[in-house]
Amino acid sequence: MIISKRLAAGLCGLAATLATALFPAAAPAAADDGPETAPEPPKVELVLDVSGSMRANDIDGRSRMSAAKQAFNEVIDAVPDEVLLGIRTLGANYPGKDKKVGCTDTEALYPVGTVDRTEAKTAVATLAPTGWTPIGPALQAAGKDLAGGDGTRRIVLITDGEDTCQPLDPCEVARELAAEGTHLVVDTLGLVPNTKIREQLSCIAEATGGTYTAVDHADQLSDRIKQLVDRSADNVVVTPTVTQGADRCDDAPLLGAGVYSDREAFTEHRWYRVSVTDGQELRASVSVGADRAVNRDYGVLVRAVTSGGRELVRGSEASSGRTDVISSGLRYAWPERDDSDAATARTVCIEVSNSFSAPDAVKRTPGLPLELSVDLVSSPDEPSDVASFGLGRGWWLLALMVVTGLVAGVLWGWISRWRVAVWRTN
Amino acid sequence: MRTIRTARRAAAVLLAGAALFAAGAGTAAADDATPSPGASGTGATEETVQPGTGFRTAGNLRPGVRTTPASASTGDYLYWVFPAAAGEVPTVSATVTLPEAASRHGNQTWQLDVYDGLRRRQACASGKPTRTASAQDTQLELSCRLRTVRAWSEAWADDPLPGAYYIRLTVLRLPDQDLGLPVQAQIGTTSTDAGGSKAVDGELAAPLTPVAKAGATLDPDAVPSVSATEESDEAADDEADPSASPVPAGLAQPEDGWGGGWWSDRWIWTAAGGVLAALAGVAGYSLTRGRGRVRPVA
Repeated sequence: MIISKRLAAGLCGLAATLATALFPAAAPAAADDGPETAPEPPKVELVLDVSGSMRANDIDGRSRMSAAKQAFNEVIDAVPDEVLLGIRTLGANYPGKDKKVGCTDTEALYPVGTVDRTEAKTAVATLAPTGWTPIGPALQAAGKDLAGGDGTRRIVLITDGEDTCQPLDPCEVARELAAEGTHLVVDTLGLVPNTKIREQLSCIAEATGGTYTAVDHADQLSDRIKQLVDRSADNVVVTPTVTQGADRCDDAPLLGAGVYSDREAFTEHRWYRVSVTDGQELRASVSVGADRAVNRDYGVLVRAVTSGGRELVRGSEASSGRTDVISSGLRYAWPERDDSDAATARTVCIEVSNSFSAPDAVKRTPGLPLELSVDLVSSPDEPSDVASFGLGRGWWLLALMVVTGLVAGVLWGWISRWRVAVWRTN
Repeated sequence: MRTIRTARRAAAVLLAGAALFAAGAGTAAADDATPSPGASGTGATEETVQPGTGFRTAGNLRPGVRTTPASASTGDYLYWVFPAAAGEVPTVSATVTLPEAASRHGNQTWQLDVYDGLRRRQACASGKPTRTASAQDTQLELSCRLRTVRAWSEAWADDPLPGAYYIRLTVLRLPDQDLGLPVQAQIGTTSTDAGGSKAVDGELAAPLTPVAKAGATLDPDAVPSVSATEESDEAADDEADPSASPVPAGLAQPEDGWGGGWWSDRWIWTAAGGVLAALAGVAGYSLTRGRGRVRPVA
């Protein structure tokens, strides 16, 4: 009787254990969707080189111009409705020898706006290879064409020759455009590029966070332009708010949660402030971009410092070699106070510094692009024990429990024997 | 007498064995029941996810999915982002289809970098995140297995935490002439369950996901001396709402939530320990009732 009862109890326990093992509750996936703001339509301007060299017949046996025209027609057909598209030409009108006139030869062929496909195609059909290659002025004009609004901006520059209008360096023009804080990206496509074109176009792309593509085939050209236009439409993302960090904490701008952009010169330190209350966790991520030729080794350091100057936490990263950005981040939480009515707010200073350096020939201004994102969330639950629910695991645990059980059983047996003996004597 | 005792001992042994079996079965069941999204392995479905060109524009990958080849130019920085929950060990793999050998001029070194939701670079525990292709190679396979994603860590640690993970794929070293040539890049993520040995306690209030709103420079009420550039205090009404950190709309969610669920095989081990302790207790008790013990007469 006693045995079977014990057995039954043991089996019950086992059954329960097995049941928990086989049917673990699926944790509900809590998905809280954030608020979404209506994004502004992205703007794209295609800047096409119509200089004399576009006559060359070296793209799949056709002239560069005809390949470009065909690509433009395909792109115009495929452009997503939400994209505001414009077309600008350079070197399309002035065939003469006067550099001064030739270098101002850039024209808005089709204004930035919703595309009328027929009209745009007709405009493209009229183009004939003519003049100079004023890339710098064309970029400046394209920047103006895309001005206004807060959406993403993209210039797609298609050219087959390097800029013929020095001393205005198109690479500097591009960097200045990007530094205006208008989130402008220049993607460049070089038709049958040589070393000089490649250097210039990749410099322009690097300066604005864009891409450089070498084009040798007609279908490659239209595919790439389509991809770039689609990229504008697909990647409608938050545009960072332009801010300007100070050189010490007291003067720093007070930031709320969100994404910010700034510029930081070589070896400069920039300070920002965030107000954090008890029960909140501060999160900050920083990316510093390398938008020009920089030396091989570089790094970034972001520190959270109290207003009293004590460092709370830091994030740092160092690397070397080819890169677009270097980034790091930090998080720091203030636990919930028990007397929650007196939640104190405090100002935390965030210091961002970089260890980029550049060869002497490289221009120092404007500073490197810096992106800072600040987030404030509730404090995490600090565990009282590192193990999940404080549970144990492993053979040592089992052995310990067996030994403990055995000892307890033996003790219990002796005690009850002794009690029986005492009872009997009495 | 003797028969009863042997029967008892046999039963005890049987029970202990059963308990151990239960523990083993439980572990197996746990592995099945906590589906890691990437468990499907090589048979993963393919999806078209265009890469972005930066952290903010990264293409949203669903876990366990492999992308179709995306065309890009050599030298592009290609970004994707995927979610990982606590208790997972994510693995990222990439296949780069290089430009035609005829148009290349030498070796190319490609690299796969993984960053967490705070844009901190995460170490690859294993895999080959950096590889060099010789001029004849047509493809390059890169991979990176991260450390176990923890449910919680101290603020000063850079342990992987639940949230978004960025992948950056780019060419690190190449002959200058090869810049801009067309390449194709395919990326995929899988993850395995780290198991109960890595099950830790604690929880983040919100996963480490990218901030999905534009910043708002606040008006520092009583605090004097603001820098002269307060471009945008029009958004000051956007008072920092502490609890609501919106998860970006495009970012996929892990199937079982970010925390990875409460289940771990530690429950089995602990319960089995309890059962064994009870049995040992019974055994210990019966040891003291040796031959010649007194039985209360019924």
